[in-house]
Amino acid sequence: MEARRQELDPEAVARGLPWQGLATARRYFGAGALILLALLLPAAFLHAPEDLEQGPPQRIFYVHVPAAWIAFLAFFVVFVASIALLATGRSRYDLLASASAEVGVVFTTGVLITGPLWARPIWGVWWDWDPRLTSVLVLWLIYLSYLALRTYLPDPARRARASAVLGIVGFLDVPIIYFSVSWWRALHPSHVIIARGGPRMPPEMFHALLLGLAGFTLLYLYLLAVRVRVGALRQMEEVGE
Amino acid sequence: MGSWVRAAALVAGKDLRLEYRTRDLLSSVGLFALLVVVVASFSFPTWGQGRQGVGAGMLWMALLFAGLLGMGRSLALEKEEGCLQGLLSSPAPREAIYLGKLASLVLFVSAVEVLLVPSFLVLLQLDVGPGLPLLILAVPLGTLGIAVVGTLFATVAVQTRTREVILPLLVMPLLVPVMIAAVKATQAALEGLGVGQARTWLLLLTSYDLLFLLVGLATFPHLVEE
Repeated sequence: MEARRQELDPEAVARGLPWQGLATARRYFGAGALILLALLLPAAFLHAPEDLEQGPPQRIFYVHVPAAWIAFLAFFVVFVASIALLATGRSRYDLLASASAEVGVVFTTGVLITGPLWARPIWGVWWDWDPRLTSVLVLWLIYLSYLALRTYLPDPARRARASAVLGIVGFLDVPIIYFSVSWWRALHPSHVIIARGGPRMPPEMFHALLLGLAGFTLLYLYLLAVRVRVGALRQMEEVGE
Repeated sequence: MGSWVRAAALVAGKDLRLEYRTRDLLSSVGLFALLVVVVASFSFPTWGQGRQGVGAGMLWMALLFAGLLGMGRSLALEKEEGCLQGLLSSPAPREAIYLGKLASLVLFVSAVEVLLVPSFLVLLQLDVGPGLPLLILAVPLGTLGIAVVGTLFATVAVQTRTREVILPLLVMPLLVPVMIAAVKATQAALEGLGVGQARTWLLLLTSYDLLFLLVGLATFPHLVEE
């Protein structure tokens, strides 16, 4: 652990924080997310046509799929940052991993709420043990246990290394969980987004989806930057004491 | 490589000698696993058609709980009296310590299985017959899966304040693929199927075991670093 013993001059403190670039850019991420997500509403409800088979419930797609994308992105960041932490031992990677895990759990919770809301009118059930649903549920449980583990380990260096190991094992487990569940039970729509000869959906739907993906990505970056900054300040407080 | 195996054998030998002399854990965890099977028999339909599937699930729940108890205790003993410090300051490579703890856990759970599986078959009136080779393959592969991940996170859990609570939280979601594959393979065995009919599940178990054995070897040294 590199000791940070700056004087408590706010300017110097702010300059010494890790991930300064991310923190500086957070306002742009926040503003961008606000604009794109405001545009997503008319895009999803007015611009995109109504689905012939599913009707209005299909429009939850523009929130559900971006949230799922962010969940995977967030846990991928945890995975990479965890490897970087074990390789370098620098606490800034623990900061990034823990912030990303927290934001990832929030988005995964969103997937798990919007999924059943969509499933009920279309499949007739709130829940199905389908491979993707089940994998997301298990993923959510793994990263909740990641957050729980962190609260139980008071020593920062130990906490960083132990949670990094879970961040690596948890992410590597995801594809195995997916395949094991799909062999165990196989209802989810197949890949309609990326297919040969372009997306199998009207371009207006695709626009709304892209807008959702971009807006959610900016929202993720904003939340990540805020969370990293809070974590950095807290870390500084711990060292300063 | 030779020194690794030797050091791992020494660590595992120490654990087994300790268990042999006290017989603390085997009797209590074995009894506990048997109790899980008996209590589950009252909780699930364990007669008639389909009891092979229910039985396979019961067996693996019992083995999972037994594994959790075993791994928790094994690492807790290392933590007491600074035993782990002693191990770490010995010239044994860290990877070998992981392998040794893994081996002793696998052997311990296997000993529970030797007692539990026959009594389970008798209690549920199951006749394995032609499924025996599959059962003999599936049970150790599943056990190894529980142990590779379990040894790693038991090492994490002993460093926390509430180790009994956190260990199952960490390990159970990670073991979902092991539980699915081991239960499915065991069910096939109880239905009298051969090894070939459960090839997918055996392959899944083998790849899980190998992958997380490698990850365990690579990450364990970081967990015990001071």
